[in-house]
Amino acid sequence: MIVDAHVYLGQCLFGYGQSLAEILANMDRLGIDKAVLVPVKPRDYHLAPANDLVADAVQRHPDRFLGLCRVDPWQGETAVAEVKRGFEELGACGLYLDPWEENFQANDDVVLPVLQKVGRYSKPVVINAGHLRVSHPTQVRDIASRFPAVQFIACNGGQINISGMLQYEARRMLETCPNVVIQTAGTYREDFLEEITTEVGEARVLFASRSPVYDQEFEMARVRFAHLSMSQKEKLWGANALKVFAPE
Amino acid sequence: MIIDSHTHVDRVGWYDPPETIIRLMDEAGIDKSIIMTYRDAPDSEGALEYIAEAVQKYPDRLIGYARINPRRGEKAHRLFEKAMEEYSFKGLKLHPVGNLCHPANQATIDMIRLAVQYNAPVLFHCGDEELTLPLQIAQTAVACPEATIILGHCGGYFHTKDAIRVAERHPNIVLETSAMPYPQVIKEAVERVGASRVLYASDGPGCDPTIEVHKVRMAGLTVEQQEALFYTNIKRILDSVTPGGGAP
Repeated sequence: MIVDAHVYLGQCLFGYGQSLAEILANMDRLGIDKAVLVPVKPRDYHLAPANDLVADAVQRHPDRFLGLCRVDPWQGETAVAEVKRGFEELGACGLYLDPWEENFQANDDVVLPVLQKVGRYSKPVVINAGHLRVSHPTQVRDIASRFPAVQFIACNGGQINISGMLQYEARRMLETCPNVVIQTAGTYREDFLEEITTEVGEARVLFASRSPVYDQEFEMARVRFAHLSMSQKEKLWGANALKVFAPE
Repeated sequence: MIIDSHTHVDRVGWYDPPETIIRLMDEAGIDKSIIMTYRDAPDSEGALEYIAEAVQKYPDRLIGYARINPRRGEKAHRLFEKAMEEYSFKGLKLHPVGNLCHPANQATIDMIRLAVQYNAPVLFHCGDEELTLPLQIAQTAVACPEATIILGHCGGYFHTKDAIRVAERHPNIVLETSAMPYPQVIKEAVERVGASRVLYASDGPGCDPTIEVHKVRMAGLTVEQQEALFYTNIKRILDSVTPGGGAP
């Protein structure tokens, strides 16, 4: 089974976007069984309707989609209330935090009330990681170590740096925080994904495309051509994501 | 026929002996690769010799570029001359994150002007980090209009638009596809700059050459355009190198 652990739904303030019909067509074309839908930041800045859009898609296609709830920690009590609504009313399988687009540091105090609320639901938190000033792997590691009971999923392999300068810190994050896993999308150097899978743990890497920011078909190549065993690839393709987002 | 315009062989930093890139070239159907170290000569002893030995071992498969720290002045110049004349290298690699030289400072420009004497291309690491941004390297292209300046990684994750922009402005800039995660950027580069100024490269072995070839094939190019990226363009550049110097 192939699960794309990160697919954006909606038209984003920052120019990218895709409709539900486009997502379904691409999944069918590429043989993707399920996807975790992620709300975008819309042009009107209102995240609640974006969360509704994802919840509606999941309700219409429960066999194809899971959905995340997105909040902006700068909104304080409103964000905490949206976490509650997301999990209790919308059926979200996890929370999405985007320090890059919402402009907060991943380990800032402003995030604490949101994560304290998430901790009551045993739901995972996907975090747009690897951005130098807001979600550096040391910052993700810092916040993950303060919430050891919360499962964190770091986007971009936990590191966005085309010199490979963040790989050491991303690996340290994974080695010191057993509650962190990484997504494959956009990761610099495929041998980093192979190294983490074989040396840190087969359960620590999830296939994800972050489509349409990255190209879904191209992102599949990172797993398809990986120098890993069939059993390891099965975990990356979907088993690990289901374990995190849809535990039995 | 495929020539990979940017790969690495080294025993320091990442351990990637020549056999690693040869194995991945065979998997990807790549005929020849341009290799360079991860470290600068002369700061790291034996760097150029390691490349020379690899080329000597696989003369039909590997082509050497000299990665050198321009700050070393005369010593750097003599080393480059040795690399070109004794080791038959074909180009200069500059990585400003490693050597901390602004791409348009005098030491770098002097180094590039020496490369011009051999008609040798200059491959810059061009990503998102300070000293490697396309608009910074463009200043070098202006200062050295006779040099062939290759923007490795085409601006990385966040600066691909700038990379294409500066290539449009300066005819001596050539774009290179490695590691940058967007197939559609390759298409855009070809449409705006022309297929004759875009090179296929992988940044292997860390970035899997098979995946990087797949990225170019996904870009929606014509057969002729693909041929230009994979082979014709870099062959033209390498064929114009004058090993003994004396280029205009």
